[in-house]
Amino acid sequence: MSSHRTASGGLIDRGHSLRFSFDGESMTGQAGDTLASALIANGVKLVGRSFKYHRPRGIFTAGSEEPNALVELRSGGRREPNTRATTIELFDGLEATSQNRWPSLKHDFLSINQLASPIFVAGFYYKTFMWPAKLWESFYEPMIRRAAGLGRAAETADPDHYEKAWAHCDVVIAGSGPAGLTAALAAGRAGARVILCEEDFVLGGRLNADGGEIDGKPAREWVAAAEAELRGMPDVRIMTRTTLTGVFDGGVYSALERVNDHVAVPPEHQPRQRLWRIVAKRAVVAAGALERPIAFSGNDTPGVMLASAVRTYVNRFAALPAKRLVLFTNNDDGWKTVDAVLSAGGQVAAVVDARPAVSDAHRALAGKGQFAILHGGIVDVSGGAGGVRRVKAALTGGAVAEVEADGVAVSGGWNPAVGLTSYHRGRPAWREDIAAFVPGALPPGMIVAGSANGAFSLGACLREGFAAGSQAAADAGHGAAAGNVPAAADEPYSLAPMWHVKGKHKAFVDFQNDVTVSDVALAQREGFESVEHLKRYTTLGMATDQGKTSNVVGLAVMAELTGKGIAETGTTIYRPPYVPTAIGALAGHHRDENFHSVRLPHSHHWAEEQGAVFVDTGLWKRAQWYPKKGEKDWLESVTREVKAVRSGVGFCDVSTLGKIDVRGPDAGAFLDRVYINTFSTLGVGKARYGIMLREDGIVYDDGTTSRLAEDHYFLTTTTAKAGLVMQHLEFCRQVLFPELDVQLATVTDQWAQFSIAGPKTRDLLRELVDPSEDLSNEGFPFMAAREVLLRGGLKARLFRISFSGEMAFEISVPGRYGDAMARNLMIAGKAFGVTPYGTEALGVMRIEKGHVAGPELNGTTTAGDLGLGKMMSTKKDYIGRAMAGREALVAPDRQVVVGVKPVDKGRRLRSGAHLLPKDASPSPQTDQGYVTSVCYSPMLEQWIGLGLVARGRERHGEIVTAYDPLRSETYEVELCDNVFYDPEGGRQRG
Amino acid sequence: MRINCPFCGPRENGEFTYLGDAKPVRPEGGAGEEAFYDYVYLRDNVAGEMSEWWYHGGGCRSWLKAVRNTVTHEFLSVEAAPGAGGKAVQK
Amino acid sequence: MADFSWTPVSPLQAALKPGRLGEKSGPAGLKLTELTGFSLMQVQARRGRWAETEAAAQGLFGVSAPANPAAVEGSGATLVWSGPQQFLALFPAGYGADWEKRLADAFAGSASLSDQTGGRAMIRIQGARARDMLAKVCSVDLHPRAFATGAAAATSVDHTGVNLWRRADDAEGAVFDLIVFSTFAGSLWHTLVDHAAEFGVEAGRHPA
Repeated sequence: MSSHRTASGGLIDRGHSLRFSFDGESMTGQAGDTLASALIANGVKLVGRSFKYHRPRGIFTAGSEEPNALVELRSGGRREPNTRATTIELFDGLEATSQNRWPSLKHDFLSINQLASPIFVAGFYYKTFMWPAKLWESFYEPMIRRAAGLGRAAETADPDHYEKAWAHCDVVIAGSGPAGLTAALAAGRAGARVILCEEDFVLGGRLNADGGEIDGKPAREWVAAAEAELRGMPDVRIMTRTTLTGVFDGGVYSALERVNDHVAVPPEHQPRQRLWRIVAKRAVVAAGALERPIAFSGNDTPGVMLASAVRTYVNRFAALPAKRLVLFTNNDDGWKTVDAVLSAGGQVAAVVDARPAVSDAHRALAGKGQFAILHGGIVDVSGGAGGVRRVKAALTGGAVAEVEADGVAVSGGWNPAVGLTSYHRGRPAWREDIAAFVPGALPPGMIVAGSANGAFSLGACLREGFAAGSQAAADAGHGAAAGNVPAAADEPYSLAPMWHVKGKHKAFVDFQNDVTVSDVALAQREGFESVEHLKRYTTLGMATDQGKTSNVVGLAVMAELTGKGIAETGTTIYRPPYVPTAIGALAGHHRDENFHSVRLPHSHHWAEEQGAVFVDTGLWKRAQWYPKKGEKDWLESVTREVKAVRSGVGFCDVSTLGKIDVRGPDAGAFLDRVYINTFSTLGVGKARYGIMLREDGIVYDDGTTSRLAEDHYFLTTTTAKAGLVMQHLEFCRQVLFPELDVQLATVTDQWAQFSIAGPKTRDLLRELVDPSEDLSNEGFPFMAAREVLLRGGLKARLFRISFSGEMAFEISVPGRYGDAMARNLMIAGKAFGVTPYGTEALGVMRIEKGHVAGPELNGTTTAGDLGLGKMMSTKKDYIGRAMAGREALVAPDRQVVVGVKPVDKGRRLRSGAHLLPKDASPSPQTDQGYVTSVCYSPMLEQWIGLGLVARGRERHGEIVTAYDPLRSETYEVELCDNVFYDPEGGRQRG
Repeated sequence: MRINCPFCGPRENGEFTYLGDAKPVRPEGGAGEEAFYDYVYLRDNVAGEMSEWWYHGGGCRSWLKAVRNTVTHEFLSVEAAPGAGGKAVQK
Repeated sequence: MADFSWTPVSPLQAALKPGRLGEKSGPAGLKLTELTGFSLMQVQARRGRWAETEAAAQGLFGVSAPANPAAVEGSGATLVWSGPQQFLALFPAGYGADWEKRLADAFAGSASLSDQTGGRAMIRIQGARARDMLAKVCSVDLHPRAFATGAAAATSVDHTGVNLWRRADDAEGAVFDLIVFSTFAGSLWHTLVDHAAEFGVEAGRHPA
């Protein structure tokens, strides 16, 4: 056994040894150890260097409140900085490394920061590195980062996965100490669905460290019996290694489950951590209390530890933190540590008690342990990286005593863990009798029990827990809990508040941030008296421990300095999470290829076979172009696709357009109110282009809508706005115009839709469509829409609409035939050189035709700006009509859509370039608009574009200056009509 | 946060989309620019109980009128929009 | 000119690899099965016509249309609540070709119908660990008492709208059916398989 392991006792498995390493040194611990307890058992005192001064630090606590013992765990992509050695369950092969030291923990070069400490006071960064400002990036910040810091993040991606999950229950319980366990028993027996969250890997809380008797049995036996009973209840879920981290609105709680933090590598298929969102009707917070230190000179020397932590290491982990200990306490509870250390065979050098007198029992204990009781306070600890060597105490009356010791246990009393109770901005209330903050106004549905509520005796914890569990179950609609309240003693807790002792050297309040008593005093002198200011100015209470051991001491020191009293001084706002939570856990499954869900058009796999290049369009993956062998770049492929369409025939999957069935007797009247133009007059079998405005008069969306039956319209939206238009239409239907009898159904996925375009479109369709269907110009004129029969028996919808300006149809079939449609279009069009084209060619052809799309429908343009003002009906009310008539929205100098072409035909255009009067120098005053869309036009054999330009329609033929500040380019362009190709429109009607 | 959809029961807020104040009523078509200006732009900045439109787009696609305390986030009531579902509504 | 063949392709054709997935040891904790070949109609009552819609459903399927979130087994079809006064009528594979006309006739004047057959994929999730997997992706409480046999929910999984309902348990445990928009189906399938992997998955496909 290791040097500081006691011969017997503890909850460790002595038959199960685990190898681990700390800073490369191999050691052995036992199953049931934490990293901290194993280090203590191996006699390790120095575990880290402090944040600012690089002072040597040891293990200070035995829980998640640990400020000092932060280590890097694991290596490579699994390296995790700032993990608390006190909560890491030991596993075989664990590798831990100390942080914030160079070149080694024992010889840290940057510990010279201590020598410079008079200038490293609170607010130092703010005061010193002010000027010259440009040095911040190049010098100050890198220097500070190197000197002051925590651990290093991994430099490669985390190979493990994380997930999130939901859980639902009547009662969620935080903590499985005496109060949590009795709450779970009471609620479970009443029939409630219970979730019991325990941060530790065993149930029992402080009972594992402090023992005691419950119902006449040793506490551990009672815990085991309670656990067995709870595990037998089907509606009780016990979650160990799980910290309740947050309290959110409406009874939602977050909890972090460390599923596989206790193994080197998670088993395949299992997550490392799981973030739970727990929906609970009631919550019982039995999160216990945290012991607080007293600040004194040298109190950060390795070997100074909270008294309760010493007991935990001795009683639970059979590890002696010190062989000869001094206890410094201001309360009865600290004395339990004396008992524990003596029972485990350790020595007590002295007890320094801040109170003027102690009980007979304590005096008897001193006799048994042969140590002195010194009434006063510790004024200095000498030692260093090797740990505590001597302790000096100032006694009441003025004498000074010095004792040799290798450890100091300190207890300044207990603070209820009020974090979870304060996340709805409830302010904790000060209780003078225990000199501690207790929960104030609670979040709805929460009950606090046990020491989290300031009830520090074991008997009171059991009673409060049982009552809280019964109450919570009843509130959630269950009956009374069966059984009696377990009984235990109500041991006294007397305390004389003491926050710090004056001494010669630094007395630390916040170990993690190196904030001392004198820093608090400096903040007070400089006017940062409010606790929120104190926090920001000194960094007291920040970082991974969020001040769990330091906040109350810090504000008590401030209260003393201001004379305001602790209650009036108050606490800072508490915010979740209660313990540090990895970003990976918050992201869960949503990373890498699972960052968001992906939508695939029905012809996707066919397009993949064709070698298409895909582009992300919202959630969709769309074929962008279909490269052919030998093509040197995208432009060559796209140019080929455009030419093939304009000279022959091509097709493109346009299924991503939003599609909505609008049905019912009032469907036409409904569409008249949402579109600027009229649809109630549209004949059955006809399609019409429509524009929707927002109520403020700006264009919202556009698309083609067809009337397929008297009471059935088929509406299409842009790809980008599909979901939003559906939401908007439902708002119109349900809220604005509920009197209209109309029903809406999304059919985007139901229909696989293809645009077939080019002069040979009809030839292709004649192959595909049953010969009985008349596809002639008379039988199927421009803007006709109807169902047709295809060869092979499938029915399809055919729409004679054109986005490309060519003779074109859109054909749609039920989604599951989308793949077959793509393949059959290739077969039907083979003789005509059919060419599949992607979104780029689609975009090129729409710009050649001057059609507006997303870059022009950009949330600032009116229908008039887009050249579509004539569509605005004057005979009906529609959404946006009133506001579209506002003076500024119809002003003659508005920026409107025009065509743009470079004066130098060989020049490439760039969208985003600003347009200015010819030869004007760029400024906000000369800015007249900008280029919205550009493409290389295979038909014009030059770059062309669309733009929004003030009074643009009156300025066709004018040469203006294009200014591209991103590329520092200035060149001349000519404004022109936005329809570059086939302005008469003969091709699409022919 | 959970919102109690009158059709689906309590659901997590990720299923809902917030629109805003449910108090302004869309004026009749001929009401003129000023009435529409008020309807589109003018809002009270409520600290306390406010009626709001929420859309259960991730569920039953109903628009809901909720009364929520903007200070505590407590939902005091949630009811369906007048035209949710197939209810007959007289203008 | 030859006729064209129109072979339907399932939205999960590429994503679903039948066989054992995830954890290989022990019995699979759950089965994920794509159900194919179904027909699906969205039925939305017209204003003030819910009573007629219910009566039409009664006449056609022998059961009342679901007025609350529930899935009702009727003769020849499952009626799945999808919102207030609307439901999805789900027909198994091989159901008569005249299904559309029968519905159109029965609901003429009382409800609007919208064919969704091509717009959805259907996945059955069953087995001892079905609830454990669903808890990772679904925010609805699926506890046997909270979500009884026949309960249905219109909800979201991975930000994707789904209809989820519970069928009668089988020997291995709970059985849930889920329908999802077909263009999201592959993505959702991967999400389900990833979250089920630790339990071991038997993936398959069979006609609805």
